[in-house]
Amino acid sequence: MKTLDLTVSPAPHIHCGARITGVAYNFFLALLPTVAFGVYYYGFDAIRVIGASIASAMIAEAVFQYIMKKPITIADGSAAVSGLLLALILPASVPLYLVVVANFVGIIIAKQCFGGLGASPLNPVLVSWAIIRVTNTWAGFLDFDLTLINYDTGFLLQYPLAVLKAEGSAGLAHFSLLDLFLGRQGGGIGASAIIWLLAGGLYLVVRGMIRWEIPCSFLLGVIVVAGIFWLGNSKTYANPMFHILAGNVMIGAFFLSTDNSSAPVNRWGMVVFGFGCGAMTVVLRAWSVYPDGVVFACLLMSLFTPLFDKLRAKQVLPQPVYPITPATISGTVEERSGQ
Amino acid sequence: MGLRSFFGILPPRVSYRGVSAPVEPVPIPEKIRLLWYKRTPSDLAVQIGKRVETGQDLARDGKGPFVSTVTGRVEDIGEFQGVDAREYLAITIITEQRDSFDPSLEAIEDFSETKPETLRAAVNRAGFTALSPIIRDPRVWPRVDALIISAMDLDPQSVANQQSFRDNTSEIGTAVELLARTTEALKCTLAVPDNLAGIATGVSMGAAAVVMVPPVYPYGLPEILAKKYGAGLLLHPHDTGFSGNTIVVGLDHALSMVHSLQGGKPMLEKTVTFSTGENGGFRNFRVRIGTPVSELLKMASVEPAAGGKLILNGTMRGYACFSDKQPVTATTESLHVQSPSEGFSFQDTQCTNCGKCNQVCPVDLEVNLLGRFSEYGIYDKSRTLGAENCIQCGLCAYVCPARRPLVQYITGAKQAIRSGLEEPVGMAEAMECDACGPSCPAIRLFDMGSDTEDSPKEKE
Repeated sequence: MKTLDLTVSPAPHIHCGARITGVAYNFFLALLPTVAFGVYYYGFDAIRVIGASIASAMIAEAVFQYIMKKPITIADGSAAVSGLLLALILPASVPLYLVVVANFVGIIIAKQCFGGLGASPLNPVLVSWAIIRVTNTWAGFLDFDLTLINYDTGFLLQYPLAVLKAEGSAGLAHFSLLDLFLGRQGGGIGASAIIWLLAGGLYLVVRGMIRWEIPCSFLLGVIVVAGIFWLGNSKTYANPMFHILAGNVMIGAFFLSTDNSSAPVNRWGMVVFGFGCGAMTVVLRAWSVYPDGVVFACLLMSLFTPLFDKLRAKQVLPQPVYPITPATISGTVEERSGQ
Repeated sequence: MGLRSFFGILPPRVSYRGVSAPVEPVPIPEKIRLLWYKRTPSDLAVQIGKRVETGQDLARDGKGPFVSTVTGRVEDIGEFQGVDAREYLAITIITEQRDSFDPSLEAIEDFSETKPETLRAAVNRAGFTALSPIIRDPRVWPRVDALIISAMDLDPQSVANQQSFRDNTSEIGTAVELLARTTEALKCTLAVPDNLAGIATGVSMGAAAVVMVPPVYPYGLPEILAKKYGAGLLLHPHDTGFSGNTIVVGLDHALSMVHSLQGGKPMLEKTVTFSTGENGGFRNFRVRIGTPVSELLKMASVEPAAGGKLILNGTMRGYACFSDKQPVTATTESLHVQSPSEGFSFQDTQCTNCGKCNQVCPVDLEVNLLGRFSEYGIYDKSRTLGAENCIQCGLCAYVCPARRPLVQYITGAKQAIRSGLEEPVGMAEAMECDACGPSCPAIRLFDMGSDTEDSPKEKE
């Protein structure tokens, strides 16, 4: 009798088709308009920063994994996405060595040292950015008003949050909300392309690559807390719509805070996490020395992720199983009929 | 079957297809093989070379009914490895092409006039698996809070129960009456998939309340039906003292019960859905229990591609066959022929913490954590996260972008937890039942560790 050549494997035998690389590809697709926006306004400098950032992130990961004798996983695209996101929140004029150093720090310390994709407690992009921001000699490179002075973009290249910090809401009169929405503001290479970030973010939500709870509650958190500040003192504090359309809020809500490994995965955890990020963003904008607080807010909230993930119903543990004895059976038919 | 839409806001759905596939009878094969779990040849009342009749009890007295489904001559008695990698006692019978029925089976004309104990004894004698694990002594019977007769199939790859519902609407009332009387259930429910609601209107369902169930995958599983529409928990052999006991019986099984009790016949046949390829080719075959899978392939004139899979009991929770000699058992629901290109392979990658598994889990486990703790053997954490509540539906592994074998990790943790419990007793007794294996009616048991389950009898 002919024997069949059969494969034997455990269940399930079908798969929905999702892959890890699919997430990275969709992120690239979603960020493509934003990158185009940055390249259009900042020209070759933007390409330079983006290219260097993606390359150095991937090299950092490959080098580390090679030294640690681990399988090299740069093909899954997660390092490239990190590099791209870092480039998008940096100004176009930033020196390349800074990009490289920041990426090595972010990828190696924040991601690979903790076990790689899915295991990092903080988003490596945020760590990279924060390293530049808190280093005294480098912080100046993130001052958008000074570093972008040589570019001619055809609109007033002023960082609205720096203006808000210096002059209060009175200085914002010349920023119309429409201009902000269309990206006519100073800022990172891609972070100021609000409309395109929104489009890309919605694309990711629709594709299920990021969960809708975090961006929605992030934006809600910004609106609510900024609203409280604004109602309290509208001379010092800007209105909520301004806060949403200026700085890193849009890229933060859709791309930075939704990093899988540093964000909660359960619904109410995500809602609280997102709301906390948004609220903390506005608080930092209002009261800290930094003009924008998105990155620090996300970092801070990421530290609470394990706690937020506990916001769910507990599992009811099954009772220990006992052997069957006559006592566990609820009586014979005769006994029950007598009841 | 599986769907992954462009819109990913909602988790992927594994939907049932409203396919109608008429039931085609399969002729009695030349040879059948009957499987009996955890038994030795000394438990049998027959020897090699003896002639057996259809319905004859092959077991020695007191070893529980083990019913022959054909008339023929016993060719071989030996061990057989089932799809679930367990050793079974197998009896191979060379069949005569006609049946001569064992006279000890009696027909029951009117169920409402018969005592429940008599019905239970008759059901047990006829070899039906749905209740037999619980029937030890027909006079002693646990309280059953809810009975669910399900016109849903366990897996979207099976349409046997749905077809029974389409074909036999007039007999459902009788089936409800029989089961309600046999189980003495306090509440009786008929679970009907939404898409067959049109057929359900105007049909007498007897004493049963009808619930419409969404035709989406885990809703057909007995655990989910018991939780959502029953009294909470599945009744199984050794929890009979707990409240919330629910019995779930497939409609096809229930109707077979009606027919055999009325005709004085044993449980002879089983409707098995045959499907192939991504999009079905659904056919329902009515086969003798014990028919090898190769007969179904011959009937459908399908030859599995090299490196393909023969999957019994559905693609989500089923088993891939080692060979086409695997017989159809009383719990076989479907046979799916999968070509190598439709399959996928698990990968040894780490969790990316995307949380898709948490989103789809029907029992609301934190699969992202559970998978990791179980993978690394931190079983006390697995237990606090509710590993024992896992029903192995397979949805987490179905959606996992990293393609981790999550079901296997969690099942391993369950086994470890079970075997580490202070009182793992009861296993041996639980394993007395014959219905164990691919779809044990008490699913919570069928993955027990092999070390603890050995009954003392067998060690002797």
